[in-house]
Amino acid sequence: MSPAEPVAAVATAPAREALVALRHVSKSFQAGSFALRDLSLDVAKGEFVFLTGASGAGKTTLLRLLFAGERPSEGEVRVLGCDVARLPRRAIPALRRRVGVVFQDFKLLPRLSVEENVRIALDVQGVPAREARARVFSVLKQVGLQQRRYQDPRSLSGGEQQRVALARALVSDPALLLADEPTGNLDPELTLEIMDLIAAVAARGTTVIVATHDVALVRRHARRTLRLEGGRVTEDAPAARIRA
Amino acid sequence: MRSVGALARFVLRAAVRGLRASAATALVAVVSMALALALAGAFWVVIGNMRGLVERAGDALTLSAYLAPGMDETLRAELTLGARQIDGVEDIEVVTPEMALARFPQRTGVSAGAFELLDENPLPASLEVRLHAESRNSEDAARVRAALAALPGVTDVSAADDWVVGYSRALDFIRSVGVGVGLVLALSTLVIVASTIRLTHGARRDELEILSLVGASRSTMRLPFLLEGLAQGACAGLLALLLVRGLFALAQPAASAALAFLAGPGELSFLSAQQSAVLVAGGALLGLLGAALSLAVDERV
Repeated sequence: MSPAEPVAAVATAPAREALVALRHVSKSFQAGSFALRDLSLDVAKGEFVFLTGASGAGKTTLLRLLFAGERPSEGEVRVLGCDVARLPRRAIPALRRRVGVVFQDFKLLPRLSVEENVRIALDVQGVPAREARARVFSVLKQVGLQQRRYQDPRSLSGGEQQRVALARALVSDPALLLADEPTGNLDPELTLEIMDLIAAVAARGTTVIVATHDVALVRRHARRTLRLEGGRVTEDAPAARIRA
Repeated sequence: MRSVGALARFVLRAAVRGLRASAATALVAVVSMALALALAGAFWVVIGNMRGLVERAGDALTLSAYLAPGMDETLRAELTLGARQIDGVEDIEVVTPEMALARFPQRTGVSAGAFELLDENPLPASLEVRLHAESRNSEDAARVRAALAALPGVTDVSAADDWVVGYSRALDFIRSVGVGVGLVLALSTLVIVASTIRLTHGARRDELEILSLVGASRSTMRLPFLLEGLAQGACAGLLALLLVRGLFALAQPAASAALAFLAGPGELSFLSAQQSAVLVAGGALLGLLGAALSLAVDERV
């Protein structure tokens, strides 16, 4: 099969309940130009999937569809049982509370402390203060930053900032974690650190989708890998094949 | 578990944080709004005093009900009592023929000496009827005039058309100018607030994006901005009130002297406590509306 050819069937991990299901999804930002083209795939509950491909392949657009940051131009996107194309605007926050998102540029608020940056995900849901503090402490402990919770995030290293962003994504106990080039701004050592944390999240049963163009990272973690090219899935390699 | 109190505290904290983060922009907004509101407040003081002047002039304007000659005092007192019952009548002064004669030169500019040639005072007794301020219009004046004319012993009632029309026009003019200028000033204040809040949206784009990503509802994202608009508007209203009070204190001596020269002695009045509260509350409301207007055209929130 040529790398540019799309995989014929639905890219899927069978036998388990699909947490994410895309059917014939296309996304176009301007007439005639497609960021995603007739894309179909399933991601099962608890799966850890890499999205790879060059810049402009459609990785970020695909992730944005999954947290309702965009709506598909065509096709069906189902995430946690919600049809993103038909989801009313007022229902989007409820979906996003079940989907944690991590970005390459961390997206932390400089005026807030580490604790406040993480807590904001609970504050917007109206979680009572005492419960919020306990949950924030627990998740900061998971990422090893409980001692730094009162610090300004700007005083932290890149890896630590990404750990804060990861803690914020996890504090709501999401069913799905999306990470868009989470290690793109980090050196190799910090990259491993962050990916180990994400792998630990996946090991606890959270469905994880990581977009990256770092082939070494994909090989090291050896998980199901979807390769995107020109907005199509051109390869759906199971974990076993990556390990091989 | 979701707690409304926790959400309210978050919204309040976000509003305070927003004001602190864009303190310079907020200050510019408050000062701009305060200047616009001060202009409106100063205009309100001027309009209030103009209205006071016109109403004071209106107090001197009366209907005269002329009484039949030779009416005794008992009958006149009964007639006066009857006239007081007429809806729209505020006060009645009984003018005897002697009082009328004494007032004649002052009212007409003609010397009373002319009457000395006559054997008796030809001027009749009359009732000088002052209308309530809200009844100083053509319809009410005509109704009162007809009711007075129907009283037994009243021979004639002076027409009030001229002064009633003039008085009504003056008040209508003041009212129209007040509403027109007030609207223009309110709209300009609204535009200032809306533009300033939009500036703060731009400055807080990252925060809005993050709030949206972590699942903040639209109202949770919008409420801090609305609170900021409300707070800025209220501060601007207070500042405007202080500015107008200061200006009033500065201008009062000279303005009072000019007023006394033009229209006789009288005190200039400032806004009442209720009007002052309306100015501050109006500022807060404009701030809130400006923020809402700005949010309505911003797709991010």
